[in-house]
Amino acid sequence: MSIVTEQKLTFTGYFRNIWTAVRTTFKGMMITFKYVYGVKSVTVEYPEVKEVLPENSRSRLYNDVENCISCMQCATACPVDCIYIAAVKRDKDSPALKTTSGNPIRLDLTQYTIDTALCCYCGLCTTVCPTECLTHTTDYEFAQFTLDEMKYDYLAADVRAWRTRVVKGA
Amino acid sequence: MIKMEKTSFDQEKLKTELLTINMGPQHPATHGVLRVEIKTDSEIVAEATPYLGYLHRCMEKHTEHLDYRGVIPFCDRMDYLAAMNAELGWVLTVEKMLGTEVPERAQTLRIMIAELQRIASHLMFFGTYAIDLGAFSPFLYAFQDREFILRLFEELSGARLLYNYIWLGGVWNDINDEQLSRLENWLPELEENIKKYHALVGENKIFIGRTANVSIVSKEMAFDYGATGPVLRGSGVDWDLRKKRPYAGYEKYDFDVIKGEGLKGTLGDCWDRYYVRMMEMHESIKIIKQCLAGIEEGPVMGKVSKIVKPPKGEIYLRTECPRGELGYHLVSDGTKNPYRVKVKSSCFTHTSMLPDMAPGLMIADFVAAIGSIDIVLGEVDR
Repeated sequence: MSIVTEQKLTFTGYFRNIWTAVRTTFKGMMITFKYVYGVKSVTVEYPEVKEVLPENSRSRLYNDVENCISCMQCATACPVDCIYIAAVKRDKDSPALKTTSGNPIRLDLTQYTIDTALCCYCGLCTTVCPTECLTHTTDYEFAQFTLDEMKYDYLAADVRAWRTRVVKGA
Repeated sequence: MIKMEKTSFDQEKLKTELLTINMGPQHPATHGVLRVEIKTDSEIVAEATPYLGYLHRCMEKHTEHLDYRGVIPFCDRMDYLAAMNAELGWVLTVEKMLGTEVPERAQTLRIMIAELQRIASHLMFFGTYAIDLGAFSPFLYAFQDREFILRLFEELSGARLLYNYIWLGGVWNDINDEQLSRLENWLPELEENIKKYHALVGENKIFIGRTANVSIVSKEMAFDYGATGPVLRGSGVDWDLRKKRPYAGYEKYDFDVIKGEGLKGTLGDCWDRYYVRMMEMHESIKIIKQCLAGIEEGPVMGKVSKIVKPPKGEIYLRTECPRGELGYHLVSDGTKNPYRVKVKSSCFTHTSMLPDMAPGLMIADFVAAIGSIDIVLGEVDR
């Protein structure tokens, strides 16, 4: 229980209370007053000024499908299962493909979709990727009107076109 | 002259009843989605019953279908204001089971990050508590300092709130010299600021009037409910896991345990809990300074196998989070998924203290009481 009997207010106590209230409030006001001038602002006026995120900021995922070897490691590591991959075996007589790092591509990717609405941006999928084709970009403006638009099919031509915009050093 | 007829007014025969009102789940003063059903006698709270479950996400059940690394993002989402401390607890639990050795630099880095997160969390408490009691500008000042910490975390881990930074065997990214020196230069400024904030809010007569002698948690009551962290220390108990049961290498660092002394009123009131948190920030700064002085060069990741399979058995490990003790009880059956995980959260314990703290308070003081236990509903419901 939390009831405390307060001490009886005396005549001097009444004025002492007023004095401490005035003194402490004045002290606080002096501290607040220092913030009027000379403090550099920390807010960013967003649509006009855009903040540059740090290099390894974890924002929208981008998969460079030319380098993907369909190893499914990202889908296995994903804690919320939002990566959908399908792949078929390449024909033996089709020309041999290689990633930029030199790994042979033995499977043909037929689907690579990430449901960004489910994604929790934990970054576990990017750390297991052996060819480092799946990366977090620093692109943070991707609000959509419907949930369906949040599903990114990385084999589609319009999503592939992001590459020049979002991939570091591309 | 009108003759007044004497009314037969008898106070004892007058029928009175308690008024039931709902506070929450979207009440701004409840720090999230806590719903409290209050029975009031005029403006005095007679009974308060908290209702939970609005932020329940089945974290414990989810872990049974995840591998041990995949649980870390879920730990972040429990206590989203102190995510680093929450994931540190989980990682230490699994590491103890595996017997992993963590490199020296990673250990120092972990403690530094955990203490920075503690400061960020307490700054958040300071700001929101001032808002609860009607002062707005302290909130903005606190966020200015918190912004520095979040920016540093963003550069280290890539996220501002839910980091997934502390991994099994070490930490994700190394800190560079520029960041270390930036932090070192900023610490004196922060120390000055915290002193300033305490003078602005804690010493203010109005603030003292609102918090001193309000919602007293006695030592016995804190023990009875199993309160931990600043709530327990606010009642004058000298108990800090970092000191009493050192984990993750805290035994190497020199700091004091702050406890409430009843400076402005009775021991264990709202002001004492506020005071403990404000002074704890200074202790955290002390630890960070020692970390900065003693950080060594070296790797930040130890050797952990790709598929983590702890041996069969169970373990319970608790750590000191900004809000109190966070314990993980992990049962492993030797496979790559945990068999069962039970999280012991201090916020849940503190929420259960509300029915006992509330009776006799004004509704406005009840808001002060909820703010002073500093609960995060993500951790209460999990």
